[in-house]
Amino acid sequence: MKNEIKTSLGGKTIALLAQSIINGLITGSIYALVASGYSLIYSTNNFMHFAHGISVVAAGYMVYWLFSLVGIPFYVTCIITVILSAIFGLAMYRLIYLPLQKKGASNVILLIASIGILTFFQNVIQIAFGSGVKLVGYIEVSKGITFAGVTMTLLQIVILIISLIIFILLYQFMQKTKTGRNMRAVSNNSELASIVGINHIRISDISFLIGSALAGVAGILVALEQNLSPFMGTNLMIKGFTGAVIGGINYVPGSIVGSFLLGMAENLGILVLPSGYKDAIAFSMLFLFLLFKPNGILGKKEGRFDK
Amino acid sequence: MLDIKDLHSGYGELRVLKGIDIEVGENEIVALIGPNGAGKSTVIKSVFNISDVTSGNITFKGQDITSLKTHEIIKLGISYLNQGKINFTNLTVRENLTIGADQIFDPGTVQDGLEKVYTKFPDLKTKENELAYTLSGGQQQMLALGRSLMQRPSLLLMDEPSLGLSPKLQQELFATIASLRDEGISMLIVEQNAKKAIELADRTYLLEDGNVVLEGGKEILENEAIRNVYLGGRY
Ligand SMILES: Nc1ncnc2c1ncn2[C@@H]1O[C@H](COP(=O)(O)OP(=O)(O)OP(=O)(O)O)[C@@H](O)[C@H]1O
Ligand SMILES: [Mg+2]
Repeated sequence: MKNEIKTSLGGKTIALLAQSIINGLITGSIYALVASGYSLIYSTNNFMHFAHGISVVAAGYMVYWLFSLVGIPFYVTCIITVILSAIFGLAMYRLIYLPLQKKGASNVILLIASIGILTFFQNVIQIAFGSGVKLVGYIEVSKGITFAGVTMTLLQIVILIISLIIFILLYQFMQKTKTGRNMRAVSNNSELASIVGINHIRISDISFLIGSALAGVAGILVALEQNLSPFMGTNLMIKGFTGAVIGGINYVPGSIVGSFLLGMAENLGILVLPSGYKDAIAFSMLFLFLLFKPNGILGKKEGRFDK
Repeated sequence: MLDIKDLHSGYGELRVLKGIDIEVGENEIVALIGPNGAGKSTVIKSVFNISDVTSGNITFKGQDITSLKTHEIIKLGISYLNQGKINFTNLTVRENLTIGADQIFDPGTVQDGLEKVYTKFPDLKTKENELAYTLSGGQQQMLALGRSLMQRPSLLLMDEPSLGLSPKLQQELFATIASLRDEGISMLIVEQNAKKAIELADRTYLLEDGNVVLEGGKEILENEAIRNVYLGGRY
């Protein structure tokens, strides 16, 4: 009798842990989509593009507008949204960052500019759509599939699968293509990259295009999973940034792993802390990593040959 | 083939070169010597348009290249072996070698070049899939030189290629450099060892504080100023 209770409690605890880990993976996959684009842009451009957060939110609202309001079919909406996100990112680079760089602006100035862009467009969205939350509701909130005591909704499974596919494609692109290799080269040693003939502006263009397209995908998934509100970009950006710092901000696979770890830490943390502490967990991790391990878990040691 | 006329150049507000004239002829090895901070690297950076040229002219094979972009200059057949971080440490040896040639040639030409470099430096072949930071100092230098050669330059700009190498490796490097001339490559070499530089080069320029203060062939080894200042001490 006693033994039975023990095992059933143990089983429950394990199921609870498993559920938290699964929830962490799902949260983490959205953070990872934000973080991978962010760190792709950071690693090739070396400045903090915090306006990346607005690419995510703008994509979410784009889905709401095109699909829920205008009534364009969902898959068409997704394609348009990803393309427009990429162009939006490129426009930020070409119309704001690059002209500033040409005037000799430091990376701190570019960081301030990026916060300006973020704030500006958050307010534009508020004026256009109002400050109330918006719901896309494409996939009905279904009851979820329960397996071995762990429940996942269809939407969550879709989110997980889509993001994993995207990360595999991104990795292949970075490792196997000429452009991917050029991007790694710029990130490793940008001066030498120019010396061997790599056109830095072209690489920046591509990093903003791809990074912002990833933000577009993140925005679509966020729109499906959560309510949209104009100022959610700041929080998403902080989470993506934290994930990137944990894994290694200069190294795209690192930032992906870090984001999954962050998602799991948040969801495991609220097993023992009140759920309002989710953000506090993220902030504490950000703080500790910046302080003690600024290169992150997988961030490459410089390993450079300095003569 | 390279003709630098009255070049003023620097970084932002900082004026480094104060009107210098330097010439590199067809199939010639020209050395650039001088104390730290004299502006030797800045000469090369100016040719490659990665410093701020304020006035003067740089022509290559008769074409004005003063304001061409770096990647356009490379296409004309100039390659630059820099000082400092000379390789992409987190890329493989093979990626390091092909990356420069890839920017200007088709895959077949790149593959040809790769095989030639592997014949010249067999060590690199055995390490082809290792990340560059795992190489020794001498191998790093080979890797950087190999990458430059794969761009098939007719003019090679080298910034202190012998720095950090053992005397034996330096000897090998100078032999390699001499053999490159036989392959028809002209060179402008910055070298901290003045004696070695003068012996190696057809002509040598001495740069001090952004000005050319002396120019000549091997006879300047006998020059009083050179003997006292450069051949006695560190140089
Ligand atoms: N990227 C840069 N930005 C600003 N100043 C620079 C830069 N590179 C070099 N300088 C400055 O320009 C001056 C000349 O530098 P340069 O590198 O041309 O000297 P050098 O003769 O090559 O010296 P060394 O023997 O130490 O390599 C120095 O005062 C240096 O501090
Ligand atoms: Mg120098």
